[in-house]
Amino acid sequence: MKKRGFGIGCMSYGIGNTGLPNPAGAFVDFLDDGTVIVLTGCADIGQGSSTILAQIAAETLGVAFEDVVVVAGDTGVTPDAGATSASRQTYISGNAVFEAARKARQEVIAGAAAVLGVPPEEINLKNGRVWHGEEPTSLSIKEVISKCRSEGILTLGHGWFNPATTRLDPATGQGIPYATYAFATQVAEVEVDTETGIVEVKRIVAAHDVGRAINPQNVEGQIESGCSMGIGYALLEEVVVKEGEIQNPAFSTYLMPTAMDVPEVYPIIVEELEPTGPYGAKGVGEPALVPTAAAITNAVADALGLRFYDLPLTPERVVAEIKKSREKKEDDGQ
Amino acid sequence: MAAFHLEMKVNGELVAVDIDPGMRLLDVLREVLHLTGTKEGCGEGECGACSVILDGELVDSCLVMAPQAYGKEVVTIEGVAALGQLHPLQEAFIEAGAVQCGFCTPGMILAAKVLLDHNPNPDRQEIARAISGNLCRCTGYSKIIKAVEIAASRIKAEAGAASD
Repeated sequence: MKKRGFGIGCMSYGIGNTGLPNPAGAFVDFLDDGTVIVLTGCADIGQGSSTILAQIAAETLGVAFEDVVVVAGDTGVTPDAGATSASRQTYISGNAVFEAARKARQEVIAGAAAVLGVPPEEINLKNGRVWHGEEPTSLSIKEVISKCRSEGILTLGHGWFNPATTRLDPATGQGIPYATYAFATQVAEVEVDTETGIVEVKRIVAAHDVGRAINPQNVEGQIESGCSMGIGYALLEEVVVKEGEIQNPAFSTYLMPTAMDVPEVYPIIVEELEPTGPYGAKGVGEPALVPTAAAITNAVADALGLRFYDLPLTPERVVAEIKKSREKKEDDGQ
Repeated sequence: MAAFHLEMKVNGELVAVDIDPGMRLLDVLREVLHLTGTKEGCGEGECGACSVILDGELVDSCLVMAPQAYGKEVVTIEGVAALGQLHPLQEAFIEAGAVQCGFCTPGMILAAKVLLDHNPNPDRQEIARAISGNLCRCTGYSKIIKAVEIAASRIKAEAGAASD
């Protein structure tokens, strides 16, 4: 018989390393052709940090995203940004790039103020142009930078950011482990075959508070992939170790989800802006995976009326638990 | 060991090379022809990163001995963009955000191409099955499936326009 169930998983997750300094630095050089070079130690492993950092620099400097070149993760030339881990790079390297770009921007604004003869605080940079208040002027950013260079002024900046944390008290465990947190709730719908024990995830709805979604498509990608990894964690993936040796070191024995195992995922982005984040952004990497297995396990409990305490919920485990509960009912004379 | 004289067509061009007959097709593509778009993942036919099209069929090039490709036609990811113009699948992958680390992408695009070559109107289930031999850890497959759907509708629209 096939049984359906729904389950919810909720989580909060600290962004950055726990109770430790974990700074990141960046350099931004605004060149006289109006293009920008960002130097960052932030390694983009596919999550899209180089795209995000280019967007932050472009937004801050008032130029097109396409005009920003990100040089990332090259220890020969880039400043330390710490690890791409702990869901921290958008928040921490994002802030470092924002700060570096802000300083470069100040140089351009000072130059533009001198040309236009207006106070710097009335000047804005947008779409490659210098703006006076709400109005574009005839002056381009490129022209201002050329003028600065002709006077020997370089329009560059450096920045770094370290989240405000404290070390945890070894006696009480108290302190400020993270400067900000991500929050999420996921709902899973499953169908369980009570004969074979196969759990099929039919749908996942995943709502994530990420602060500002600097690149919504990228955030969706992170959420969808987190759900896929969570399905693996809930149903498939198990490292079998015997006398210190991994027994299943291959994709045919350590199963991870294929396209056939992943249902439609409906990401919902919740933008609760983080005051200390770059443009209000936090992080989404690990949070996307955290609640999925709980939601699926709760959905299986809803379908079968049975609680599982060991992952993954392999067909063998599910069938054994169903059998055990039947036998118990028979013993109880039900 | 005597060298094996391998002649095959790769991305439309005739290729003749003398190779160690113990080489895999994957090694000839990457090490001899320097077509490094084809990736080696697991090396045992489980991940699909080394997928290429051999006489119209998707194969794991790590499981094909190079001499088996004699006289056959191989298409790698480098041969998918005709005359520098991206294939609709490649455009759709970029547009849908279907690429993250990129390691599975060449194999995914070739797997999807074989599907669309045989079935221009695949549903979600058929797309999932067609790419189920290609593992992806980054994307969760959602945007890859969406990209294949976008490409299928574009190819259909182009074919419709061409026949008008």
